[in-house]
Amino acid sequence: MFLTRFFRRVINFCLTLGLWVYFMLGYLVLMFVLFIPCYSRLKAVDAVLQKSFHLHLKVFFALVNRLSPGVRFAVSEDVRNLRSSIIVCNHLSYLDPILLVSLFPRQTTIVKNTFFSVPIFGWFLRKAGYVPSSPTEMYGPAMINHLEDIKRQLAAGGNLFVFPEGTRGRRGRIAPFNRGVFSIARYCSTGVKMVLIRNTERLFRPGSFSFDTRGKFTVSMELIGSLTPDQLKNASISASADQARSLFERKIREAKTGGDGRA
Amino acid sequence: MTRQEIEKEIRAVLLREFEVENPEPDVNLREAYGFDSIDAIELLLEIERFLGTELTQAEKKKAMDIRTLNQIIDYVEMLAHHRKNEAEKA
Repeated sequence: MFLTRFFRRVINFCLTLGLWVYFMLGYLVLMFVLFIPCYSRLKAVDAVLQKSFHLHLKVFFALVNRLSPGVRFAVSEDVRNLRSSIIVCNHLSYLDPILLVSLFPRQTTIVKNTFFSVPIFGWFLRKAGYVPSSPTEMYGPAMINHLEDIKRQLAAGGNLFVFPEGTRGRRGRIAPFNRGVFSIARYCSTGVKMVLIRNTERLFRPGSFSFDTRGKFTVSMELIGSLTPDQLKNASISASADQARSLFERKIREAKTGGDGRA
Repeated sequence: MTRQEIEKEIRAVLLREFEVENPEPDVNLREAYGFDSIDAIELLLEIERFLGTELTQAEKKKAMDIRTLNQIIDYVEMLAHHRKNEAEKA
């Protein structure tokens, strides 16, 4: 028993190391070998960066899948086909945002401000059209610039994905939702699609910084509902946020009582 | 549209959408009622609905620095005046 656990940890450690080395190297190659030399000739810098991130992470998750034989990825077609949408998700693991980037060729999100202060990486995030969450960026005229930029990206077929809990949920509970994304949806006259993520926290456990490549479970993403522009227009944003949160809670409860162990 | 009509409408919006009841005309809404940037965006959408016209990006940016009820009324009054002039020219 002890030996099995020991070997499992060693395997997980080695594969995790390999995966993160690929992850980091992939970004470095994208940025310094492919992107920077072509920078002056690029017309739509944000679109190019978003597509590059998407392809890189698609390969990353193909590798994760290959190296984790017991882990199945089940992303429903209606999630894969989302375009020009504002997507609201529950947040379980650091993998959630990069999994979403791997699904959509054009995508933007609201990123914690600390990432923008990382040298070079922060510059790339800005160039890719990601939006900083800091109060100074989301207040005053700068906020209108960001909202107009999001509107433009949605019109170009991109998706905005947001985790309205603001942080990862704990023990399957959904934290209170920030209202911001619902206000953005109203501003952009776009509906909100709700996507339930399951089991990413089992694949990459919070606090462990290690992939569980030996586990047997299904990582899934499912479209559980939506709010149309009219529904958003006719309700207060607090009511829309509450409605969306209740749906997530109900779906998680159903999954738990359904006994499939996937919640 | 008179200033009184605008004030009445704005007060109604503040009460209905933000539960801000009878604010003093010059009180800072952010400090007194926690009126944040999300609320400001909502207020902008309400103003668009009230005026029956979409605001330009520059007009929206101007609104983001507003802090008091009086400033909101001035802003809407200025927009209404501007729209009226445009309509007359056309």
